[in-house]
Amino acid sequence: MGQMTIVAIIIAIVGFPILMTPVIMYSSRISEKLRNTLSVVTSAITFGLTLSLYPFVIGGGEIQVTVFEVLPNLEISLRLDILSFCLAALSSFIWFLCTIYSLDYMAREHACDRYYPVLIFTLGACQGIFFAGDLFSLFVFFELMSLIAYILVIHEETEEALKAGYKYLVMTIIGGLALFFGMIIIFELGGTVSLGVGVIIEETSTLAFLAFICFLIGFGMKAGMFPLHVWLPDAHPVAPSPASALLSGVMLKTGAYGLIRVIFHVFSPELIQSGGWDIVLSVLAVITILLGSAVALTQEDIKRRLAYSSISQLGYVLLGLSILNSNAVIGAVFHIFSHAFMKSVLFLAAGAIIWNTGKRQIADMKGIGRQMPVTMGCFSIAALAMIGIPPLNGFLSKWTLALGALDANMVIYVLVLLVSSLLNALYYLPIIIPAFFDLPGESSHEHHDQHKEIQFNMQDATPSMLSVMVILAFCTLIFGLTPNNIVFTLSRFAAQYLLGGAF
Amino acid sequence: MFAAAANYVLLTGPLYYSSLPLWITFLPMLAGIGIYFLKDHWEIARKGCALIVSFLSFIGVVLLFPLSLAGSVSYDLIDFMQMGLFFEVDLIGWIFAFLITLVWFLATVFSFAYMDFEHNRRRYYSFLIFTLGATLGVVMAGDFFTLFLFFELMTLSSFILVIHEQDAESMKAGMLYLYLGIFGGLALLFAIMMLFSATGSVDIVPAIELLGGQRTFIFVCFLIGFGIKAGLVPMHIWLPQAHPVAPSPASALLSGIMIKSGAYGILRVSLILFSSPAELPAPDASYLFILGNVLMWIGIVTMLAGATMALLQTNMKRILAYSSVSQIGYIATGLGVAAFLGIEGGMGFAGAVYHVINHAFFKAGLFMMVGTIYIYTHELELPRLGGMFKKMPLVGITFLVAAFGIAGIPGFNGYPSKTLVHDALLIAIRDYSLISFEVAEKIFVLTSALTICYFIKLFRGVFLGSVPEKLDRDYRLPFSVNAVLGSFALIIIGIGFFPNLILERILVPASEGLNYEGYAMDHLYHFHFFEWPPLEAMLIVVVLAMFIYIPGAYRGWFDWKPPWWLSIYALIYEPITHRILDATCRAGVLVDSSVDSAYDRSGIMARIWCKYIGNFDAGLDRFYEKTSKGARELADRSAEMDSKLDDLYEKTGKGARKLADRSTDMDSALDEAYRKTGETAKKLVNQTSNAERRLDGVYDSVGKKTREEINKMLSEKKKQRFDPAKWTTKNLSFDTLLLVLVLLIVMGVIFYFGRSL
Repeated sequence: MGQMTIVAIIIAIVGFPILMTPVIMYSSRISEKLRNTLSVVTSAITFGLTLSLYPFVIGGGEIQVTVFEVLPNLEISLRLDILSFCLAALSSFIWFLCTIYSLDYMAREHACDRYYPVLIFTLGACQGIFFAGDLFSLFVFFELMSLIAYILVIHEETEEALKAGYKYLVMTIIGGLALFFGMIIIFELGGTVSLGVGVIIEETSTLAFLAFICFLIGFGMKAGMFPLHVWLPDAHPVAPSPASALLSGVMLKTGAYGLIRVIFHVFSPELIQSGGWDIVLSVLAVITILLGSAVALTQEDIKRRLAYSSISQLGYVLLGLSILNSNAVIGAVFHIFSHAFMKSVLFLAAGAIIWNTGKRQIADMKGIGRQMPVTMGCFSIAALAMIGIPPLNGFLSKWTLALGALDANMVIYVLVLLVSSLLNALYYLPIIIPAFFDLPGESSHEHHDQHKEIQFNMQDATPSMLSVMVILAFCTLIFGLTPNNIVFTLSRFAAQYLLGGAF
Repeated sequence: MFAAAANYVLLTGPLYYSSLPLWITFLPMLAGIGIYFLKDHWEIARKGCALIVSFLSFIGVVLLFPLSLAGSVSYDLIDFMQMGLFFEVDLIGWIFAFLITLVWFLATVFSFAYMDFEHNRRRYYSFLIFTLGATLGVVMAGDFFTLFLFFELMTLSSFILVIHEQDAESMKAGMLYLYLGIFGGLALLFAIMMLFSATGSVDIVPAIELLGGQRTFIFVCFLIGFGIKAGLVPMHIWLPQAHPVAPSPASALLSGIMIKSGAYGILRVSLILFSSPAELPAPDASYLFILGNVLMWIGIVTMLAGATMALLQTNMKRILAYSSVSQIGYIATGLGVAAFLGIEGGMGFAGAVYHVINHAFFKAGLFMMVGTIYIYTHELELPRLGGMFKKMPLVGITFLVAAFGIAGIPGFNGYPSKTLVHDALLIAIRDYSLISFEVAEKIFVLTSALTICYFIKLFRGVFLGSVPEKLDRDYRLPFSVNAVLGSFALIIIGIGFFPNLILERILVPASEGLNYEGYAMDHLYHFHFFEWPPLEAMLIVVVLAMFIYIPGAYRGWFDWKPPWWLSIYALIYEPITHRILDATCRAGVLVDSSVDSAYDRSGIMARIWCKYIGNFDAGLDRFYEKTSKGARELADRSAEMDSKLDDLYEKTGKGARKLADRSTDMDSALDEAYRKTGETAKKLVNQTSNAERRLDGVYDSVGKKTREEINKMLSEKKKQRFDPAKWTTKNLSFDTLLLVLVLLIVMGVIFYFGRSL
């Protein structure tokens, strides 16, 4: 493929969903079916287009193109390298599946005519973040995505949702302003904000540190980093479940992605380490991990528990980024993938349970595994992956991260990871074990004397919802189990690219 | 990894590549998954499948024997989970694998009879067979990573077996098992990671020199990880809860086999990883001496605590579970002695592994015998049982055989292994003559005596005495149960009568990879079990047991129930876990909510500030408003003043003009008057020129009077027109003042001159 074709494809990946948004909005007037079909087709085409970049990227290709110049040295530009490809492919894949899941889930919800266009538009903005060639474009798409996603957050329009949405919006704007400030400093110091020049800032200074902190605030906000995470446990649970899955599974990752770009393309790992800035990141990451896990333990609402778990899991990614050696970066990128698969399954399965039974409290979910075996089976696989049970992908990412930490002689990080795993076990097992082995409502003393099989009326989610969950659960299994699987290879290549320039 | 593996080969002999270990491991796992998808009522297919698979894996392991004897069998799946799945079966691993498959096969057969009374058989068989694969994987793993993978799988799948009953008690026990299992798994993982980072490989090879400063830490983590599974004190608490609640065949496997995977791990770590093929320098050697000592003492404490607790139980299965704890203590003691004796450790190693074999047979057998009684009576409590010897004589006889085995009576299988461990202790005493070893030896003897005591208690309670009325009926045991129990008894007696067979054919070759030599090894080749010294030791044990049991049973010592707060669970686990968890959660919630409220508060603060700024703004606004109003008023006033001034000017101007007019008038009037006067005078002169002289005086006086009159009149007129009292100087600006002053001066001048006229 020639360069022009690649650029055209990238523009299509970003532009097509955005262009389709009004079409979908209009089509909802004609029929619901057309609207749904168009949404699925759009996300499928986006995913397909993203995948078509694979041969170019895996061949070591890298593209940086200016689309148009806004001001001298300030431009909207596109960039394609292995890292953007990884995240774009991941996000469009999860988006595609979540759109399919939405079809049945949202059928019982109101305001679908608003939901689908917003969903698809957010996809475009999200892809735009991953393909942005400079901080300015990244900022523009980042703001676009964050603000539009507000509509997904408040979809229920309950008081709770509106309150959470308000919090989300305020914090997003604060984060956006921090990013903007950081960007201005970088522009002032380096004369450019392009990600294609290698390293923009070459020596430490107070101003550069200030810029780093600004980026940390802006992107850390999105990634749910410790003092900035407060919006997350409010906003994620109130959104409709497919949107929660996307918020937690994909949109959080834009923050991590931004930080990767900042660390490796604006500054450089050596600069970060020589300035001791990585300590800031690692301290925050450790607090994030432990705090998220500990608070998740106390949550009784299943989606809130999952949201806190997301905070803790994103902490792993940040920890990997703060260690900044080969294994740790592989682990961080791989954990972005792993967490996307795991957390999407968890949110979708929790959504299916809520959709089917209306139960949100964990205490009410006894015996739900017999009523919805496939849903709960997927949930269990993903939860075990979260705990880090081999051979699921969560284990592999923890293993790689821990090796990175040990390479850096930081045994304490390994302890943090393991303590967090133990806490994960403590808050996931009480969901899945009673779900399969406890009986709802009654005391379970007498039945074993009667020696009879307990019959439940099995009523699982619809086939399309189930298939989505099964595919994602299968991903958590297959990307841990199989040797040199595509995801791990991509993560390794991405880490090599980031650390060494080539792979 | 492979370089290190090649190193190891030199120690053990040739390496044979074969995929057989892979198949032996994966066949049961795949079959287990397959069984789950069989329909509920396909009873025969399910049983057949389970039977065939467990038999096939048994055959597979048997087929491995010649190769493992000659060297080791290995197979690897490169890059599986990025680390590779590496199987290697040497003779030690083979012994465990053989035991696993044999006992599993018997337990599967036993399950057919037992599980017919149970619910949820599909899940049971599925996980029973799956766990077989996972457990085999543990002992056939060639490196710690693979071992860890199968270890975790085993923990998870056996959890399902533990909670099979799904009542409150088994759920509680199961959760404890699972949490501790996962905790142990994480400790193991930590140890493996540290090992990997220190040596760059996860192979099970002697690596004491490479481990560096973190070796104690690594050892402790391994010990926690494997010790939880093995049930070493104080990590044993799950065991007496979890083993009794499982269905009996599963208990048999848990107690007989699965805890051995922990012992297997400790063996691999303490005897292989923490050793060196070469002669060690003195500090390392003394380090290993300490490690071995620690392990041995953990074993000693475990055996004593387990035996004591077993003696105090009344539930059949709990007695057996505590007995398992105690027996694992023997194994750990043997391993510990082997670890610190170095090249003289052959006796301890052989004793420990021999005891693993023996314990698997008698403990699995005992659980199944107890299970047989349970299925027919539904009773586990000793006080409610009795007289079963008459009702089920075969169970009674086999039970007696197994009890003799575990008690270490010569002629049964416990005897040779206990003798070997005991001899290893004696070697330690001979070599080091430390008082602590003497004490350990005494505790060993005491524990063996206690073992006999609790088995007498168990046997009396179940089989002797009178049959309770409720249970007084005829029992017919199916053939499969008889066959399984019978074969356990036969194996126990067989090993008991030919103890040297296993020792010389299997255990001595197995120890070849471990560098043992010296007195112990020479002695092992032709160990005389039926000579006076070991028999004497046994006799002492039996006599001691009698001295403990008879007064104990008479005075009811064994009915004492230790209070709850004395249990290790209440003393250590509950406070620690609860406090830590509680503190973690609280700290987390506190930080989280305080961050959240900090945001809220800062929002509120911002709003308050905004209010202040708003107030200030409004104030400013009002100020401007007021100022402008004032300015407008000022402007209004000045405009008023202006117009007044204007008026004033105008008036003044008018006045001035009038004044001017008047003065002009006056002037012209004066002029007129002058002219008229002149004309009159001229007329008068003209008319009276004749009478000038006559009338001169008259005219003069008349003229004077007239002039005076006119002057008087004029001054009066002026006085009337200009009244300075009417003028006000208020509100006059300077200019106007000046103007007015100038005007006044002008007027004053005019006035002055006018008057002087």
